[in-house]
Amino acid sequence: MANIQSMEHTGSLGRLPSLKTALAAITGVMMLVDLYLIFMVAPTDSVLGHVQRVFYFHVPIAIMSFLAFFVVFIGSLMFLIKRTPKWDAIAHASAEVGVVFVTLALITGIIWARPIWNTWWTWEPRLTTTLILWLIYVAYLMVRSYAPSQSKGAIYAAVVGIIGFIDVPIVYYSVVWWRSIHPSPVVGPFAQADALDGTMAWILLYSFITFLFFFAYMVAERMELRKTEEALGRIRFTLRRKGR
Amino acid sequence: MTGLLGPIMVIVWKDVLLELRSRDLVVSVVVFGLLVVVVFNFALNNTPGRSEELAPGILWSAFAFAAVLAMNRAFVRDQEQGGLEGLLISPVSRDAIFLGKALTSLIFMLLVEAALLPIYAVMLDFSALSWMLILTIFLGTLGFAVVGTLFSAIAVQTRSREIMLPILFFPVLLPVIIAAVEATTRAVGGETFIGLGRWLPLIGVFDALFLVICPWVFRFVVEE
Amino acid sequence: MLDLILLSSHLPSSNLPYLFSAFAVSWVVLFGYLFYVNRRQHEMKKEIARLQKVLEDDQPEG
Repeated sequence: MANIQSMEHTGSLGRLPSLKTALAAITGVMMLVDLYLIFMVAPTDSVLGHVQRVFYFHVPIAIMSFLAFFVVFIGSLMFLIKRTPKWDAIAHASAEVGVVFVTLALITGIIWARPIWNTWWTWEPRLTTTLILWLIYVAYLMVRSYAPSQSKGAIYAAVVGIIGFIDVPIVYYSVVWWRSIHPSPVVGPFAQADALDGTMAWILLYSFITFLFFFAYMVAERMELRKTEEALGRIRFTLRRKGR
Repeated sequence: MTGLLGPIMVIVWKDVLLELRSRDLVVSVVVFGLLVVVVFNFALNNTPGRSEELAPGILWSAFAFAAVLAMNRAFVRDQEQGGLEGLLISPVSRDAIFLGKALTSLIFMLLVEAALLPIYAVMLDFSALSWMLILTIFLGTLGFAVVGTLFSAIAVQTRSREIMLPILFFPVLLPVIIAAVEATTRAVGGETFIGLGRWLPLIGVFDALFLVICPWVFRFVVEE
Repeated sequence: MLDLILLSSHLPSSNLPYLFSAFAVSWVVLFGYLFYVNRRQHEMKKEIARLQKVLEDDQPEG
């Protein structure tokens, strides 16, 4: 999150690429260390075996996808209040990167569930809420591209971002309560995160920070792409005005 | 507060009158609700023994799909006839416009559900009338109306309006559907308010929350 | 008890394909997205350069 805020202060196009490169470099190094920790340092789970290591990717990615939506929420709220394009850019970029993360969270969740519980899906509260989050992200991006204009698309998307974010905790609790009535012995990958000890815990934390940087880097890339899109739009507009 | 109430009632009165005069929307949504029950009945293999278990879910699936259909149609017709533009030019507050439209949808849906309920009671074999059931249906439909009206206002302006509303609606309203089905299961079983557990309060909190938020964001959706 | 019995029928080592595919998918998706963003960036920059040239060619006449 700190990186998003420091990105906010970069005024010109010129400074953004170097912040981006810095983030890329940091992420690259952190990721290499992360992989080393996951495969060389982390203890093998006595019950689940090596496949348990998926969890060091799945959990941080999933948490990151929720954090990304929080950024979308803040960006959407600030955009509706202040109307500066920068807020919309942050929301849009976080939403696109966020949908990548949440898709990955779901896929890794499924790959986890299969060998451990012999089922592809569990309607466990956290996994189900992740699925709903995915649907809300998709609705956010669809509304933006199906809107009659870019400016309207930004407004509609902001509304979806706000409503969606407020809804997510309600969805989570409703599924938790539903689950307590319709229990199932199958437990999702998240539950593992609750029963953690020592080494596993801090490797998980480190992995989370790595993905935080990865997220920041990807958002920086996407925001730069948006700047280029805007420049292209401007030049096309100028040419159209001249009758070309 | 009276400043708000007046315009709301005018809007509601106009829309409801329009509906009752033409009647096509009411009839088509009721028929649709019936069709949903029939389809789900076969799709879920509903046998007399399982009816008690499946009925609330089938009921609320039908209500939810019917609500989406009804709200979609209502806003499309509104847009075609320019009704919304007329309202926006007038000095009526955006909150009043939104609440008026939401109330209209609520009344409409309640009428449709009232028409369907006896038929459902027969088809799905449950003893219909209990105050708890009515309360549940009211609160659930209120949630549909409030969030659905906001999303309809957005969806009707997009390229793919028929598909946009369901995509926005269902993920957000899932908690209401879950809670409504659970509460209905107990209500039909004769439970009192306490026996319904946390489900009605959940819908209540949802409704209260979005009754505050949706009018606020609505003004951004309709601004020029 | 039952789940313990069920679990022991899955030898941990035989689950390595799942471990591999989870990490492989992660890399493919993450880098795939970055690749997509970079490619669009590249194409747009080319388009901007092209249009810029058209604009400049216009100047003497305009």
